[in-house]
Amino acid sequence: MRWLWVILLAALPAQTQAAEAARRHIGPPTPAQVRRVVSLAPSLSELVLALGAGELLVGVTRFDDDPRTKSLPRVGGYNDPEPEAVLALKPDLVLAQPAPANRGPVETLGRVGVPIETFPLADVGQIEDALLSVGALLGLPARASALRDQLEAHRREVRERTAKLSHPRVLLVFGLEPLVVGGAHSFAGELLQDAGGVNAAQVEQPFARLSAEAAVGAAPDVLVLCGVDPPQGRPAVPGLEHARLVTLRSTALLHPGPRLGEALDDLLEALRPSAARPKPAPAEAAQRAPGGP
Amino acid sequence: MSAPRSAALRAGLALLVLAPLLVLAAACGLSLGAGHISFAAAFRGAEPDATVLFRLRLPRVLLAAEVGAALSVAGVALQALLRNALADPFVFGLSGGAAIGTALVVAFSGTALGAAALAASSWLGLLPAQLAAIFGALTAALFVFTLGRARGQLVPERALLVGVVFNSFASALVLSIEAVLQPEETQAVLLWLSGTVGYETTTVLVSAGALVLFATVVLGALSGRLNLLALGDEGAAALGVDVASTRLIAFVAASIAVGVSVALTGLVGFVGLVVPHAVRLVVGPDHRVVLPASALAGAAFLVLADAVARLLFRSLGAEPPVGAVTALLGAPLFVLLLRRRA
Repeated sequence: MRWLWVILLAALPAQTQAAEAARRHIGPPTPAQVRRVVSLAPSLSELVLALGAGELLVGVTRFDDDPRTKSLPRVGGYNDPEPEAVLALKPDLVLAQPAPANRGPVETLGRVGVPIETFPLADVGQIEDALLSVGALLGLPARASALRDQLEAHRREVRERTAKLSHPRVLLVFGLEPLVVGGAHSFAGELLQDAGGVNAAQVEQPFARLSAEAAVGAAPDVLVLCGVDPPQGRPAVPGLEHARLVTLRSTALLHPGPRLGEALDDLLEALRPSAARPKPAPAEAAQRAPGGP
Repeated sequence: MSAPRSAALRAGLALLVLAPLLVLAAACGLSLGAGHISFAAAFRGAEPDATVLFRLRLPRVLLAAEVGAALSVAGVALQALLRNALADPFVFGLSGGAAIGTALVVAFSGTALGAAALAASSWLGLLPAQLAAIFGALTAALFVFTLGRARGQLVPERALLVGVVFNSFASALVLSIEAVLQPEETQAVLLWLSGTVGYETTTVLVSAGALVLFATVVLGALSGRLNLLALGDEGAAALGVDVASTRLIAFVAASIAVGVSVALTGLVGFVGLVVPHAVRLVVGPDHRVVLPASALAGAAFLVLADAVARLLFRSLGAEPPVGAVTALLGAPLFVLLLRRRA
């Protein structure tokens, strides 16, 4: 019965939500010249790699699946980083994505003198902010703005291309039991809009649970399964047997970082294969596709 | 019952064996961890060894020792009060009460009640959730204490049933709250409350330590009367024990110990069950010996279990919650103890 208590106390982090909505600095000031970076979220590691600063990374999480991080020491997970393991790598900057569960270890690290920057990565704006901030911290602001501009240009181009096409109603499914969907204000929801889809889930939060009845009421034409396998021998969502079930060809949409462009192409391909254009770097994408947290 | 002098002798012997055991456990806790550190370097002040030893491992060992001791003395007290060998803070509703208390603080944060809780807890050097956990455990104890009575007398079986039912009620509350949570939050605190020893500030460690010490001293002072309660209420009363007040004080002290533990580490099971049983097996049933011995043994047990959890990081790349470690060690140990008693 123990797990029940667990969930009751899960009400605790509700208090901290407001604090986690913004970028935060914890611990002593970040040095002007950063030399050793530990990343506590795969998306943030990918961000450092995309900035061309991979040689600064000295530690990542056990969920990091980018081949370039393969040989790096692991410091635990996104929810449960191990302060001792982080400290042993002598970082002069730790990048973290704030979450209710990692608050304790992250604040402990700050208390014992490690500079930490936390970046919420719930929507595209926050992800781009994180990109620019990390670029500034690592002394690569020009590269960061170039990446941001590149992403925005790609989004604009896709929006123009899909504007004249049909607009299917879509549920972005991130979990089946319970049903968890991406809302319009999440990065996934924003990319869906770029791809010409209409988010059928009317939810305020970036990611939210949905009852089966609400899912049927949302009347989606397409269910996009994001990181979940379609169940065998029964409908993914009861009552939505008629909706087209599609899976994404890579895990890019599960990584709120520099892979957003790739994620947008994945969504486009899933929703309307005919309108999708060839991926910019298929070799690299194919290399990453099989992995996933 | 044994003569006072032999009790003192056995308590002294137990202390002589258990104090070094606790020191040994602490030494293990300080030297084992996610990575390797050098004590020599740490004492020279070399980084990161010094920070890992003094600012991560030391507070963590202290916290584990405090919670281990608290859960064990609470287990001893509850088993004596209810004359039931299976009574333990987690069977008995106290942990459920602590969990409800915490949830209520969350629900009322931002209101006048929440502000009052904040003021009261910061005065004690605790977080509102921690204070609420203590109050929740106290309330659960009060429930068990009042509803477990029949014709003005506490009926141990009845009290235990009330505890079990209270736990189920708390579970229902839990499920209701769970339904409105963000997916990420549910997943996140699952980790925390499955029983994890984390890193607390010195202030929290000192206030929690003071509360645990207070509860232990109170229960220690009552231990002679807890012995007599084994004879049954009438028997104890015939020997001059004020049964009702003894029970009340012991319940309050045990609740404080459990509340502090749940607030700081979540639900670390089996400590309050296994440690008193193991201690009794060695030192006999006299609570004047069992209580202090359990405090020391419980502290050593949880410090060791936490060291094991941290050590597992090296091979698993993740740290299993200490609650899982205590259950994995505790359950077989308990079966073993049962067989030896049989």
